Amino acid sequence: MSSPALRLSVDPALGPAGIAPGHVTGHGAGGPAPKRIIVGYGFWIFLLSDVIMFSAFFAAYAVLFKNTAGGPSAHELFDLHSTAVETAVLLASTFTCGMASLAVGHRNQKWTQIALLVTGLLGFVFIVLEIREFSSFVARGAGPSRSAFLSSFFTLVGCHGIHVSVALLWLGTMMAQFYAKGFRQDIRHRFLCFSLFWHALDIIWVAIFNLVYLVGSLPPELLP
Amino acid sequence: MLGKLSWQAVPFDQPIALAAGAFVVLVIVGALVWVAAKGYIPYLWREWITSVDHKRIGIMYCLLAAVMLVRGFIDALMMRSQQALAFHAAGYLPPEHYNQIFSAHGTIMIFFMAMPFVIGLMNFAMPLQLGVRDVAFPTLNSVSFWLTAAGALLVNLSLVVGEFARTGWLPYPPLSELTYSPGVGVDYYLWAIQISGVGTLMTGINMVTTVLKIRAPGMSYMRMPIFCWTTLASNLVIVAAFPILTATLAMLLLDRYVGFHFFTNEAGGNAMMFQNLIWAWGHPEVYILVLPAFGVFSEVVSTFSGKPLFDRRSMIVATLGICILSLCVWLHHFFTMGAGGDVNAVFGIASMIIAVPTGVKIYNWLFTMYGGRVRFSSAMLWSIGFMVTFVIGGMTGVLLASPVADFVLHNSLFLVAHFHNVIIGGVVFGVFAGYTYWFPKAFGFVLDERLGKAAFWCWFVGFYVTFVPLYVVGLEGMTRRMQRFDRPEWYPWMLVAEVGVLTILCGIVLQIAQLWVSIRQRAKRRDLTGDPWDGRSLEWSTTSPPPVFNFAVLPVVTSDEPYWSIKQEARARRHLVTAEPDYAPIEMPRNSPTGFVTAFFAVVTGFSLIWHIWWLVILGLIGAYVTFVAFAWRDHTEFEIPAEEVARIDRANRAARAAALAGEPVR
Amino acid sequence: MSEPSDFDAGSYVGADRVPGQPEGRSLALEVRGYLIGLGLATLLTIASFWADQTREIYASGVAMALLVLAVAQIGIHLIFFLHITTDPDNENNILALAFGVLIVCLIVFGSLWVMLHLNHNLMPMNQLMQMQR
Repeated sequence: MSSPALRLSVDPALGPAGIAPGHVTGHGAGGPAPKRIIVGYGFWIFLLSDVIMFSAFFAAYAVLFKNTAGGPSAHELFDLHSTAVETAVLLASTFTCGMASLAVGHRNQKWTQIALLVTGLLGFVFIVLEIREFSSFVARGAGPSRSAFLSSFFTLVGCHGIHVSVALLWLGTMMAQFYAKGFRQDIRHRFLCFSLFWHALDIIWVAIFNLVYLVGSLPPELLP
Repeated sequence: MLGKLSWQAVPFDQPIALAAGAFVVLVIVGALVWVAAKGYIPYLWREWITSVDHKRIGIMYCLLAAVMLVRGFIDALMMRSQQALAFHAAGYLPPEHYNQIFSAHGTIMIFFMAMPFVIGLMNFAMPLQLGVRDVAFPTLNSVSFWLTAAGALLVNLSLVVGEFARTGWLPYPPLSELTYSPGVGVDYYLWAIQISGVGTLMTGINMVTTVLKIRAPGMSYMRMPIFCWTTLASNLVIVAAFPILTATLAMLLLDRYVGFHFFTNEAGGNAMMFQNLIWAWGHPEVYILVLPAFGVFSEVVSTFSGKPLFDRRSMIVATLGICILSLCVWLHHFFTMGAGGDVNAVFGIASMIIAVPTGVKIYNWLFTMYGGRVRFSSAMLWSIGFMVTFVIGGMTGVLLASPVADFVLHNSLFLVAHFHNVIIGGVVFGVFAGYTYWFPKAFGFVLDERLGKAAFWCWFVGFYVTFVPLYVVGLEGMTRRMQRFDRPEWYPWMLVAEVGVLTILCGIVLQIAQLWVSIRQRAKRRDLTGDPWDGRSLEWSTTSPPPVFNFAVLPVVTSDEPYWSIKQEARARRHLVTAEPDYAPIEMPRNSPTGFVTAFFAVVTGFSLIWHIWWLVILGLIGAYVTFVAFAWRDHTEFEIPAEEVARIDRANRAARAAALAGEPVR
Repeated sequence: MSEPSDFDAGSYVGADRVPGQPEGRSLALEVRGYLIGLGLATLLTIASFWADQTREIYASGVAMALLVLAVAQIGIHLIFFLHITTDPDNENNILALAFGVLIVCLIVFGSLWVMLHLNHNLMPMNQLMQMQR
């Protein structure tokens, strides 16, 4: 008499461990998840850790915001026109990245490359604008070593910029991989991670342009 | 061309440092020459260095930790000896050197001994306990290990080339800023920790994903072994806390390298913010260390009491409670910095509350033992020693959690005694218990129990003899990190502490002897069934050591002690319960040099950043990028083990167990 | 499509979803979803810039309004671009997100609270005198 404690041959109608398919538990009791889920979830956790790192830089920025050491303050420095263009460009690039995801889902090489190229160009424009902004600050004597406020500003926004630049490198690599190797499963998984990354960078930019640029450009009397 | 690097970086004028450095170089070079001469390099490269197998990586982590334990302990010996000699005297260590030694001691023990040890144990045991073949990202696992080893290498390099930080194990500004620490010491520290910190964060991501997404069929959350729950909790805290460390050390690096003003005295910097942010990482860090130790104790106590763990549900709730609370108490490390009564009170109360779930766990372990048939093996001795020692350490912690008391005791030797009490009693005893417990599974033979018990007693007695005097002098007002002192009341206690540390030294020697003797006698000590301790969880259903694929067929789990329930039924019937499964070919991830090569470039980049050799930095970064792309460009990522091979291995396991059940001697 | 590896075994239809993965409906519906997200995000972004420049909002509340708008914009991104929903198969993703949000709040607001108190109690003399002038 076979023990109910162990059943090695699995009833295909029921799925492993007797759980009916379609009955989603989300509790992992159906055995190891498919690779796509594992890769995606792992990258999701990585993204959260990255957001936590940004929050440490945010905290430093918030604490040091008023420490201008006699130098320029946010209100005096920030040019919201540049910020508006950067925001628009990055938001558009998030949209085109979504289009690229759809193209990959439909295995369409042409539209994948086009959407990724546009995404990359928009990201490149963002970086150029940001470098221009930083250079203009430095030229006005408002470089990162001028004061603690400026150190924290350059670090926070610069860290985001470095992430975007690394993402652009990754984007180029993805375009090359899709072109050279087609829509192989592991490359699609990698692209899933890339698109998560790109969307997350726009999310962080939302926090930055609202809480750093827009709040910072308010007259000092209005700040808590 | 070589930045700040010159022959003056080698400490020719400091005899002790020179001797130590020369010794380390000789040992390393000697080991490499011996390995090469014996022809082991191809084997080591193929089977260990490029391995992505969680079992191998776990063993390498523990090996790294064991070596660093010796290095860190030598630092401790030197410190205790200095303090035993330096009453109205200069001692034998000048202050500049002494400061490096206590900084290196703390840095090595936390980052390169305790962290690798617990990560190694989690790496080895967790996938086996979950009934699966490997962690979520095996190659990333290898990268994590090698990055940790790269950090350890950099710290040890500072012994030979340059100097180490003199700031303590957490480099508070303004002392750690360029103005007051112009040398390379703080830079060695910063880059070593940043590099190994990336590795640890990758481990956190890897293990959280594994525990949540890769388990045997039927293993719901409530059926997971408690060690896997503590693995989950500890790695969630890693994911939450290590980014803060990376960010904060990055800010200090920017201050030092590019003249930023996060923590400087000038231009509006705020040195207090460093302490706030670093302890927002630092407190969760100690819970990252102790949670897996708690998990080990849950496994060991339940196995050696012959009873299921008492009240799993409250254990799990307590574990998750500790996980979240550990992120809410960090200010108790700087009560005296001046946040005021309101803030101090909130964090003080939170720090006391965190003792409650820990107390729940202690009671559960005690109730597990109560009514059980307790076997006092050395692993169990470590566990009982832990319960006594950790409770005392926890109580002194609750004492310190009161800001009023802390104002008197902050940064005294009382504090030092407290944290050693909980770290040694908790983490060190825990990893020793886990090491003893899982050693047979990893290597196929059991460690010598007598030497193990002798080592335990030396550690246990030695710990109290070393640290109770420190509690006393701490209450009498002796501050930490004193290179010399002149209060006569403290002197006898320093001598007692010296006796204690020599006793611990005996313990370490006995552990080395235990390993040596056990290896030499391994034929006699072989674990033939894979279940030397009458275990209860799934790792004991595999051979010792397990095959590369762990399980021929993933087990289907229907209870919270899956192996125990099958075993009891098999014992009742005196033969195996399950039929031979349908063997299928198994695909496993290929080995990869990615981890080793990445770490190589990390060391190159780190070293050249420390010495300001900018062209080499760029080369190192390019090398790292090329490694990523090469890894991403692989076409063949897995290899297949044919069904016949799987069948052969599994049939041998089944035969051995069937023989044990029938009472025959296992051949 | 490559053969399922061992890691693909043991799963079944409908199990678990991952953020960022399109929902597998028709192309038109998917594009529409992204367009709606883009539109809403654009509207909220314009609202942010307006809130910053306008006098219509109570002066001291502008910073708070911007915080709220930022959260709303992030929400749009999460829903329309990352496809986070409250389906049971998204549970792990939401839990992880909630954990991350908790940590971010602890770090940012905890640090602010602590540092504000520290700065107040330990204000350098020249700053104190500046305040009194």
